Amino acid sequence: MSLLPPSRADGQPPDPTADTTPPVTPETPVTPGPAPTAPESSAAKRTERAHPLTPLIRGWVVLLAVLFSVGRELLPRGDEEEWRLPPLEWLLLGLLAACLVAIATGWWSWLATRFVMDAEELRLDSGMVFRRSQRIAFARIQSIDVVQPFAARLFGLAELQIDLGGETAKLRYLALARAYSLRDYLLQRAHAAPVDAAAPGPRTPTGPLDLNARLNDLQAPDQVLVRIQPPALLLAAVTSHEFFAILLGGVAGVAAALWLDQPWLLLAFGIPTISALFGFVSRRIIGQFNYTLSRRPSGLRISRGLTTLTSQSLPARRVQAAQVSQSWLWRLLGIHRIDLEVLGWGALTDNEDRSGVSTIMLPCGDADQVRVALAALWPAVDFRQIALTPAPPRARWLHPFAAPFLSWGHDDRLLVVRRGVLVRRWQIVPLARVQSIQVQQGPVSRRLGLADLAVHTAGMQLSVTASGTDASALVPQLPVLLDLAGTSPAQDVAEPVVDQPQPSEGPEARRADQADPTMSSSE
Amino acid sequence: MQPGLFDAPELHWQRLPARYALARMVNAALVNLLVGGLVVATAWLLPLPLPGWLPWLLTVAAVGWTLWRVVRAGRWATAFGYLERAEDLLIVRGLWTRELAAIPYGRMQSVQVNTGPVQRLWGLAGVSLVTASIQSNASIPGLPHDEATRLRDRLITAGESRALPL
Repeated sequence: MSLLPPSRADGQPPDPTADTTPPVTPETPVTPGPAPTAPESSAAKRTERAHPLTPLIRGWVVLLAVLFSVGRELLPRGDEEEWRLPPLEWLLLGLLAACLVAIATGWWSWLATRFVMDAEELRLDSGMVFRRSQRIAFARIQSIDVVQPFAARLFGLAELQIDLGGETAKLRYLALARAYSLRDYLLQRAHAAPVDAAAPGPRTPTGPLDLNARLNDLQAPDQVLVRIQPPALLLAAVTSHEFFAILLGGVAGVAAALWLDQPWLLLAFGIPTISALFGFVSRRIIGQFNYTLSRRPSGLRISRGLTTLTSQSLPARRVQAAQVSQSWLWRLLGIHRIDLEVLGWGALTDNEDRSGVSTIMLPCGDADQVRVALAALWPAVDFRQIALTPAPPRARWLHPFAAPFLSWGHDDRLLVVRRGVLVRRWQIVPLARVQSIQVQQGPVSRRLGLADLAVHTAGMQLSVTASGTDASALVPQLPVLLDLAGTSPAQDVAEPVVDQPQPSEGPEARRADQADPTMSSSE
Repeated sequence: MQPGLFDAPELHWQRLPARYALARMVNAALVNLLVGGLVVATAWLLPLPLPGWLPWLLTVAAVGWTLWRVVRAGRWATAFGYLERAEDLLIVRGLWTRELAAIPYGRMQSVQVNTGPVQRLWGLAGVSLVTASIQSNASIPGLPHDEATRLRDRLITAGESRALPL
């Protein structure tokens, strides 16, 4: 994190009290109390602290770490014969001291951390010995995450992470309702929405959050589009190809053990396999528990998780490509999964229990749920309506197993590629997101009159290639495709079908319009 | 007859100068002669317990390989083509594996002219196009230096007037 607040770019007048605060030298006695960085000039400014329970939660983590490391030291190792426990009083005293230190530092840090969020500025002051004051330009905010780790969740607290592109500013911990209201306020500000200058900053609705808000971050105007029930998750997990891959490894090991007549090998392979299977299934269910895709006025939102609640917003305009996939058992059960390639989100998620943003749009769902989810993302189009051209039978020479499934097609907005052997995939790319197109033909393909068509997207996660297509059919198709990819459509696929009153077409209006979808917020 | 997949859609492909083919051939010859020469020299000069026919075989192989590489290098350069169209740039390349890449001007983020010491010696420079996707491998090697600069400027102008949102 840089010490320079990123506020220079937007031409705001620098706040002398915030920016010129030098790091206090270590010998300066830092007394807890009114933070020295609090600007005297703006006494009317409302500075805020994190929730008073914060030191307790942070201290709890420290305490656990101490307990763990000390406990490991004190436990008998077995090889030392004259090992004995230190007297109980000493242990308790040490524990108490550790507790006190943890709470004291936590409290000190809590005292030193303040933030200002109002119509004028967003500023975070922190640091116990070395102080820093960070001022953040609202327009620079990339996304806002509300994260609820387990310990914080017990107390109904949450951490606000403000992603500024390169760095992340963290506010922890806040009451959940406060975190939500701050997030909504910041989202609104970052959308460059006009704000009443006299307004005292974000307001928190009084009264406790209702159960829906607690469990799902759902608010009244939210419309639930897809909700996956735990039994469906369980079914999908135990029939997924990953599950069978683990199982197959275990079965191979057990078979080898039986064949070699070595019973101990049975245990060596059986137990890890069982625990891996159990871990895999439980991680999936815990990570995707109560999976909900909902729509709120500011955009799509996904919330999921049993222990750690993750709720992220899905910026539809940043989605570069989607992939619907089905493993072989899922085909029989009609289960699909949707992965998205989103600009700036990095690699496709394969680790489902991760609490950060996930590129999984739908962990498992039937055809209808897939349709609803994709329609929420790209309302104007339906990829199942697009006529696909299958690869000619001679493609079997090059793709002996996949050939019957290979096909591709496009209309004036979407390009769909179908591929895959064991896991079948539909890759869907809006033509407005195609960066470049490449046709490739190797020597064998040339003999067979086949060619591969690849479209390149900015996300670089899905390699969308229609393999083994008929070269002679591609010749008239290619110019059409190039024209579509090279021109901007009148209406983006991510925009709703309903014609809304168009905002005035000034550069400002467009900027705000484009800024909107690049915002994301997750919890 | 139906046009092939890699035929220029409207006009003829713009080709690279003959100088570039020559440069590639010289480069291929030098590199191959150096590596082949080392192998052959080792086989002939060092007192290794090799059967008598092996150095001969190696010599023939080295000469043959060099010739092959030189011919292919020249042919690769003459097979390379590009075409500036109204809305996009087309690039066709490759001998065994033919590739046709199309980059809409609106997708270009920047255009670079790059040249190395050897290329400068020949008065050549390459132009490469950068889009938001690193998969789009769009570069034109070996243009005359002024032509490369002009092409870059043309491409940038074309890109700026058509910039498409991400």
